[in-house]
Amino acid sequence: MKITGDLKRDFSALKELLPAEDILSFDFAAEGGITFRILFCDPVTDKELLGTLVVRPLMHYRGGTRAEDVGEGLASPEMRSFSNLEELAGEVLAGNPVLLWDGMDEGLVVGTKKVFLRAVMEPPTGVTVKGPREGFIEDIKVNTSLIRRRLKTGELKIVFSKIGRRSQTFVALCYLEGTANEAVVKGVEKRLKAIDIDGIPDSSYLADFLCSRPHALIKQVGTTEKPDVFCAKLLEGRVGVLADGSPIALTLPYLFVEDLQAGEDYFVPPLRATLTRVLRLLAMLAAMYLPAFYVAAELFKLQLFPVKLLLTIAGSIRDIPLSPSLEMLLVLLMLEVLNEASIRMPKYVGMALSVVGALVLGETAVRAGFFSTPAIIIVAFSAIGLYAVPDLIEVTSMVRLLLLLAAGSLGTYGIILATAFLLLELTATENYGVPLLSPFAPARPRDMKDSIVKFGLRSLKLRPKTLMSPNKRRMNG
Amino acid sequence: MTAPAKIAPRQLLFFLACLAPLSKLILLPAQLAAEAKNDLWLSALCSLAVETAAVFAAVLLSKRSLSFFALLERAFGRLAAVCGCIVLSLFFLFAAYVPLFEQKLMVQSVFYDTLPSDLLFAPFFLISVYFCLKPLGCFGRIFDLLGPLTAIAFFFLILFSAGEADLSALAPVGITGARGVFSGVLRTTAWFFDGALLLPLLGKIEYKKGLAWKSAAAYGAGGAAVLLFLALFYGIFQDIAPVQFFAFSKTAKYFPAIHLLGRIDYIFIYAMALAMVFVSLFPMLSAAELLKQAFGESKPRCLLYSLLLNGAIAAVSTVLSFSFPAAERFITRTLFWIFPLFGAALPALLLLLRERLPRRRSR
Repeated sequence: MKITGDLKRDFSALKELLPAEDILSFDFAAEGGITFRILFCDPVTDKELLGTLVVRPLMHYRGGTRAEDVGEGLASPEMRSFSNLEELAGEVLAGNPVLLWDGMDEGLVVGTKKVFLRAVMEPPTGVTVKGPREGFIEDIKVNTSLIRRRLKTGELKIVFSKIGRRSQTFVALCYLEGTANEAVVKGVEKRLKAIDIDGIPDSSYLADFLCSRPHALIKQVGTTEKPDVFCAKLLEGRVGVLADGSPIALTLPYLFVEDLQAGEDYFVPPLRATLTRVLRLLAMLAAMYLPAFYVAAELFKLQLFPVKLLLTIAGSIRDIPLSPSLEMLLVLLMLEVLNEASIRMPKYVGMALSVVGALVLGETAVRAGFFSTPAIIIVAFSAIGLYAVPDLIEVTSMVRLLLLLAAGSLGTYGIILATAFLLLELTATENYGVPLLSPFAPARPRDMKDSIVKFGLRSLKLRPKTLMSPNKRRMNG
Repeated sequence: MTAPAKIAPRQLLFFLACLAPLSKLILLPAQLAAEAKNDLWLSALCSLAVETAAVFAAVLLSKRSLSFFALLERAFGRLAAVCGCIVLSLFFLFAAYVPLFEQKLMVQSVFYDTLPSDLLFAPFFLISVYFCLKPLGCFGRIFDLLGPLTAIAFFFLILFSAGEADLSALAPVGITGARGVFSGVLRTTAWFFDGALLLPLLGKIEYKKGLAWKSAAAYGAGGAAVLLFLALFYGIFQDIAPVQFFAFSKTAKYFPAIHLLGRIDYIFIYAMALAMVFVSLFPMLSAAELLKQAFGESKPRCLLYSLLLNGAIAAVSTVLSFSFPAAERFITRTLFWIFPLFGAALPALLLLLRERLPRRRSR
């Protein structure tokens, strides 16, 4: 609906579009005789700024009624004009007040949005001992400024769009022009445009739409809360997506090996980084497979235990009333419940939970003969091992359960079949033409220099071939 | 986006190098020992030499960048190509029986302390159904991972076995005579049809100069590994070798460290067994691939082929569950000629084919 220039009619039309009770308005007259009306959304508009930037300068206004003239009389650096009433209504809801008057050709929108921000601080994920400590916050503008500060180049493109019919969430697509593969950029843009949903409360909603196989077992979108990691990924040729209201940034295409790497790996000697990456991988594999192999060995293949260990285990499990698979399943479920509760529970009861979890449930259950000591030890190790790769915890805990079920019903052969299934699943998954398991499957020896093994920075002169960057060289000399 | 359908040269070489060690170490060593005694390696050498030539011919065919279907269609027309695909597909279904059954017997023997129910093997067919639905590029990628894993596992199994083998048991060479060696070759043809396995891959391999030679060399290297294993196997078990089935799981258990550490050889046995799952599934995948070439590869059709083929082999396995020795005897003594016909002669004959129809009309 177009603006008519008649204050009363336009205002009532806008009020029809915005019937909410927190949409307020007030009138004031300028020295030149024009009466202005400001329409604003009370909770999200900074009224002090509104007074300083809009009302106070306009009180002395003596110019004409064109929006351009009125705009010149304002002191605001952020100003837009619209002749469409729906667009004006949208701006009011976003926290930007709309200025109306008789005889206007366009309504003026002034950027005086009230911003509730938490400070830029160290994120709870991706914590490093050495390395930058800044983390993204919920405001997209702050997040893009954190990126801009690190990438001072005109090649950094940040394309904004609004997604969500009701939430109208700002989403920023970030990439380095000439470094990111154009097909990937277009692919991400196309999928973002195709999203038709009422609201995007968090970037995880977008991640679901950006996957090629939404029902796949493993995630296909990388996530980070750290601007340094985000920028490093853009420099490698990836595309990033930020959503307003979310501190989690998305990066594409995602490679499985990304989650075995940590920000700190680039601040320690390559040999140390390699060692920690190998440890992470082994810990993750052991955490997933150990409970399954223990159950399979106990149920179907006792030969897997050395004789002395077998005697110890036999002594521990002699009086346990549950079958090995059920015992392990129950201990794992108990661990998952404890884990879930410790995350959700208020911090001040956390200590009590530790006591109840570790002592009452663990120690007492063993003493009472419900669970055996080896089962508790294995699950405890498994729990710690999974957190060696925290970004994959959602997947690895599921895989651990799948392997346990396979081992409990089919023994070691079940584990092998489940592994075969996982291999098929992982090798078949690719996003934006990039295989998930690259650089291992398909093997790209050059890209392996920064995978499990970490070479020195001087050896990483080229960008990963897997990401198909048109700008292959990242270091000269 | 789906995984690419092409197989990179490196992936093909990994697959070929692993093919012989993964498909010929379960029942074949005992069978060879029964027929050729200490000359078992000579019998295997003859078969492997023929298969190496067949692999060379099959990879050379991929130079033409035509699928098996297109190759036949150009020479004989569409109907003949469809028939050819069906016949070869049926051959794979038939040939899959021995690898699947030996896999089943190995599972029952190696993975369990006591004989488990036949039902425990059933999930293998579920994996097979799922596997047949995946593109061939996915298979290539799997061997990017399993190739090195197999090499490491095989190396350690050989290392653990070497100390216990008395290689003088292989001497004097040729004591069983040409008849014994030839009998070993004839009775074990069911394990040698690797040349045919490459035919469904035609048109999917990224051919590069010299790939045929490299492929033959890779397959030959795998074959050499098998020969080495056979020598160690006979060196360890000697006269009782003919009754030592599932050879690869037995030779390393006499390694001294095992008494201290437990059966650490199982780590490598399980790694090999994982790779063996894919190799024993390969005839089924090949059969499904040929049906895709002949009748189209829409998703519902692929599912139908996969269900039909796996249903058929599962039914055969169930029916012949207790008659494997008889079935195996029938296959290896009466129908033994089928395997060299498809495994060695077919790739060589296809090399002689000339295109009669213009390229654009083909699939």
